[in-house]
Amino acid sequence: MNNFIEKNILPLVTKPITYLGNEVNAVHKTPNAEMIRFAFAFPDTYEVGMSHLGMKILYGLLNEAEDIWCERVFAPWVDMEEQLLKHNLPLYGLESMMPLNEYDFVGFTLQYEMSYSNILNMLKLGHITLRSSQRQEDEPFVIAGGPCSYNPEPLSDFIDLFVIGEGEEVILKIMETHRLWQKNKGKRQDFLKMAATIEGVYVPSFYEVSYDENTGVITAFTPMVAEAPATIRKQFIEDLDTAYFPEKIVVSYTETVHDRISYEIFRGCGRGCRFCQAGMIYRPTREKSLPTIQEKIRALIEATGYDEVSLSSLSTGDYSEIEMLIKNLVAEYEDEKVSISLPSLRIDSLSIDMLEEIQKVRKAGLTLAPEAGTQRMRDVINKGVTEENLMDTVRTAFEKGWGHVKLYFMIGLPGETLEDIEGIADLGQKVVDEYYKLDRESRNKSLKVVLSASSFVPKPFTPFQWMGQNTREEFQDKQRHLKNSIKDRKISYSWHDSGVSFLEAVFARGDRRLGLVLEKAHQKGCRFDGWGEYFDLEKWTEAFAEAGVDPDFYALRDRSYDEILPWDFIDTGVTKKFLQAEALKAEAAVTTPFCPESCSNCGIMEFKKGWKCNG
Amino acid sequence: MVKIQYQFKRSTPLRLLSHLDQQRLFQRAFRRANIPIEYSQGFNPHPKMSFALAMSVGLTSDGEYGEVIISGDMKVDEFISRMNQVLPNGLEIVSAKICGDGVGSLSAALCKSIYQIKIKILPEIDFENLAESIQAYLALPQIFIQKRNKRGKFVEKDIRPFIEAISVSPDEETDKANIKMTLVYIDQQCVKPEHILTSINNQNGAVFIIDPTIEIHREELLIKADS
Repeated sequence: MNNFIEKNILPLVTKPITYLGNEVNAVHKTPNAEMIRFAFAFPDTYEVGMSHLGMKILYGLLNEAEDIWCERVFAPWVDMEEQLLKHNLPLYGLESMMPLNEYDFVGFTLQYEMSYSNILNMLKLGHITLRSSQRQEDEPFVIAGGPCSYNPEPLSDFIDLFVIGEGEEVILKIMETHRLWQKNKGKRQDFLKMAATIEGVYVPSFYEVSYDENTGVITAFTPMVAEAPATIRKQFIEDLDTAYFPEKIVVSYTETVHDRISYEIFRGCGRGCRFCQAGMIYRPTREKSLPTIQEKIRALIEATGYDEVSLSSLSTGDYSEIEMLIKNLVAEYEDEKVSISLPSLRIDSLSIDMLEEIQKVRKAGLTLAPEAGTQRMRDVINKGVTEENLMDTVRTAFEKGWGHVKLYFMIGLPGETLEDIEGIADLGQKVVDEYYKLDRESRNKSLKVVLSASSFVPKPFTPFQWMGQNTREEFQDKQRHLKNSIKDRKISYSWHDSGVSFLEAVFARGDRRLGLVLEKAHQKGCRFDGWGEYFDLEKWTEAFAEAGVDPDFYALRDRSYDEILPWDFIDTGVTKKFLQAEALKAEAAVTTPFCPESCSNCGIMEFKKGWKCNG
Repeated sequence: MVKIQYQFKRSTPLRLLSHLDQQRLFQRAFRRANIPIEYSQGFNPHPKMSFALAMSVGLTSDGEYGEVIISGDMKVDEFISRMNQVLPNGLEIVSAKICGDGVGSLSAALCKSIYQIKIKILPEIDFENLAESIQAYLALPQIFIQKRNKRGKFVEKDIRPFIEAISVSPDEETDKANIKMTLVYIDQQCVKPEHILTSINNQNGAVFIIDPTIEIHREELLIKADS
């Protein structure tokens, strides 16, 4: 198969080199009968998937074991898909080019809801039966993990088992269970029952959901076998400093979205922004130590030859020794021309000093995320940033020569008024005014302020999990109002929503009844929904109608606090009681402090025995 | 500071790289090999490295040339062995030399490319027909092809001066034909072998099947001795 594909197919497709699995540091092993074959599947393109840190960690971790061969598979681009279909060739794992249906495991990472149709498409292209209930004994176990598995229900018809939480430890337990099961020559069902007893594993076929005939809400969620626990506890790594992190990562030949070493300096975030799912599900905050970070980065640069390192986390400026870390890294790598980048910086002038430090000469655009236009609204969402913070930051930035500022906002936040919308335009104007306060000589020659607003999607396990999303009409009205409120020609405004955020809202808080919708949308050819040019709302609308499912029920409906939510069976450590208290504080526009300043009792300290946040 | 000129091979596993991919690959390989390259000054420093030619996607080659300026001194043998330790399967440095100052650019020194091509011939064409067709083609005093210029307009270009020789032989193992082509550089310009194959088809009636399975291999790239 390899030779045929290399000779006859790859010359016809774009970026052919991404379908060969022969990159530097790609792992190749000689397979034997006992070896566990694992295909790590990223349901988006190679360029997107190869930028993802989680895949790199688990790929390295699984391949440490001699009897496991973990390979990669991505959603083939449409030209490759066409060729595979034309020649009736199955989608394959890149390294060995083995057909997907011959692996022991196909493991999907769920990063965003809009990749769900790609999962079905990849299973189909890999000649794997779509529905887990119909899968044959010799087919792979289709498993999934990642942030979206905190509400696994919309995918429960297609995934044999989910991993809830951080995967580094659980995945090895699943592998161990598989070895045992293989030795005993068990049936498919036997493996799933064994796996269901591992903490953090959810096997959806072992549960039954019942609904209220009239209202459609869930009335009960019941385990059907003794092995399946009523509550699934999320897993997290206690000691991140000694946790596995690869010293070698695969280096793509083609340019990827984040074409650099991404080094995770801490996990979790204690800011408590109420719209942010990551900030709740990745609790508690755990840091790596300065020596570990520096040592590992050195090893990674030597193994890959990359000339850029990004210090990744949910809020990089919150790392306790961030200034020291940056100073050390800049000093160490300046001569080698390795640059350091900082994603996810909060708005404060300290951030600007840090940017100044790492970008000694070039003043690329500065991107800041106030998220909301008025102080009231920022208090509602608990984004602990004031207008003063923002103005101090942009003033410092303008003084240091920046001229291009991009501001990110969300619209459709709870309790939002037209005044809050106008506040976005006002904030943009104040940024422009700040620039003109500076002398002509000391500021950048050109000024550009970009306001970017996205439609808010309420997510599970956040204080806003109960609220209905704005309707498309409401979003459009607000967008129009915002556009009309902008007076200055230095301000440009970007907004685009083709209905994607509505669909995202449906799947983010959906339940099992969406399985049929997904299947129908897949049959209609939906895939790459996250890619504007392939998103087709009409096909999705047809799929909902044919499945007899009302999408508004999931996206637009306000839930009551006592409703059984589809994801209630998962325990993230952050309690529902805390989320509800936060929702009430949001209504009153009362803020909650940053974790290290004062503990707000989210529940994570009681979740795991002996765990203590911040020391 | 010293300029190293190296000759390298690209074989099947990496033939589908684009030129940009290959540049990035070399840049990272230099870093992995711990070879200290010089950077340009200015706002956006870039490594001082270059290639004699951009390789098109699909091309394999026994004789490509690249240059890199390194800070400090290094023996060529060490350069070769360090690079070959880190280069992925499909790329290999075969030789290298240290260039003196005042040596001109690689692309100005290009003389000839010698290609070996494996290509399918149409079922109704036998080997004799093919040989005749090539003979007739080479007998033409001028051969014009349509070429897009920089402004995107089509212009006629006479490609005959770039062709030194074309010979054919049957392939023992497959039903393909082996074509050997010697093309010359004039003012740093040349013609792509795929364009010549198409032009042969267009001149005296089709003989080749032009599809992605054509295999093009550069056997040799000749450059002026003093560069």
